[in-house]
Amino acid sequence: MTVKEKLNILEELLSIEKDTLDENRLLEDMEEWDSMAVISLIAMFDSVFGKEIKTEEIKQFRTVKDIIDKME
Amino acid sequence: MATGILKNVEIKGIACAVPDHIVNNEEYFNVFGEESVRKFINMTGVKTRHVAYDEQCTSDLCYVAAKSLMKKLNWEPSSIDALILITQTPDYAIPATACVLQYRLGLSEDCIAFDINLGCSAYVYGLWQAATMISTQNINRVLLLVGDTSNFGINQNDSSTAMIFGDGGTATALERTEGKEIKYFLKTKGSGYKSIIVPAGHARSRSQINTDPSEYELYMNGADVFSFTITDVPKALNSFMEEFSIDKNEVDMYVFHQANLFILKHLVRKLGIPMEKVPISIDRYGNTSGESIPLTLVDVLGNEQSDDTLKLILCGFGVGLSYGGIYLEMKKSACIPMIYTNYYFKGDVSEERNENQ
Repeated sequence: MTVKEKLNILEELLSIEKDTLDENRLLEDMEEWDSMAVISLIAMFDSVFGKEIKTEEIKQFRTVKDIIDKME
Repeated sequence: MATGILKNVEIKGIACAVPDHIVNNEEYFNVFGEESVRKFINMTGVKTRHVAYDEQCTSDLCYVAAKSLMKKLNWEPSSIDALILITQTPDYAIPATACVLQYRLGLSEDCIAFDINLGCSAYVYGLWQAATMISTQNINRVLLLVGDTSNFGINQNDSSTAMIFGDGGTATALERTEGKEIKYFLKTKGSGYKSIIVPAGHARSRSQINTDPSEYELYMNGADVFSFTITDVPKALNSFMEEFSIDKNEVDMYVFHQANLFILKHLVRKLGIPMEKVPISIDRYGNTSGESIPLTLVDVLGNEQSDDTLKLILCGFGVGLSYGGIYLEMKKSACIPMIYTNYYFKGDVSEERNENQ
């Protein structure tokens, strides 16, 4: 999966307009990054990548790229 | 995993009473903002909820449900051998509310009565407990009461808990019946005990001087609970069904704890079962804690007259973290229609007991 495809998945998950998310953006600066986004992210890792992601790992994410790097 | 079969026991009836006071989550637009409330409603599925009046306790809702059920089944109060109440919102710190209800319902002094403290998994544990007593002891009739007024002790400014819960009280009548049985699995993951917690108010935090007031409110880590639900629960349920050779396609209905619509949909997808077999009540009743499974059964079957038998999987998961599942067969006509009530106990037991005569 390309970085662009991964970004598109995150854009849909966070209800952000397609092709507008910058992978260097800080999560803490994004108003879309809330507790419901965290739950959606866990669900996405489970259904798209068959991967169980711990909430402790999510807490370590600082930028969009940190998430992208785990999406494999 | 604790699994087993409990023989010669059947559910004879289920009743549910909810407060007639309805709260629409759109009323929170001016508290949390329209956009975030709409997002919340979209994700959790909770549009409206039945919320208890200030004076209305779990015991009152369970009382109304129990009385209606006993009347429908023509169960004399003296014929009930045991009363089990499962709640996280009892009337008092002590005594057990089951003792108060034994008195209020006019049950015999020979009746066993006790409380159990469990939430989302309450119904499954309650059925197991009641069925164990009937199956292995000289007990014929058990009244299982499961209810909560979860909106008690909620911070109205905390968006993760203020709009999610509904209140209700249920009664389930179990009776010795030759040839009928209940299969179960039960599990506990206590390492997650902090995921849903009210830290203060009991012995662990008994000093009122240094306790932060927010410690008396419910705290929920939604992400941790979600992770647990989509990993541990399907694993356990699949292995239970495999152990007892329960064919997924032959199950008529899967009734899950109504945690949150997003969680339910994900769980259902992981289990590979059709959504048509999964009744939903959370949209109109909210997350109704331990009573969500019997409440959902009453919601979907309350007006059924047919004596056809349904094969049911019931599965509860959450606070504890505690979880379990039940497989049983039940008549479609077992549930009585939903009861909407503003009833609460005004302190005069003799008045209630006279009404019961």
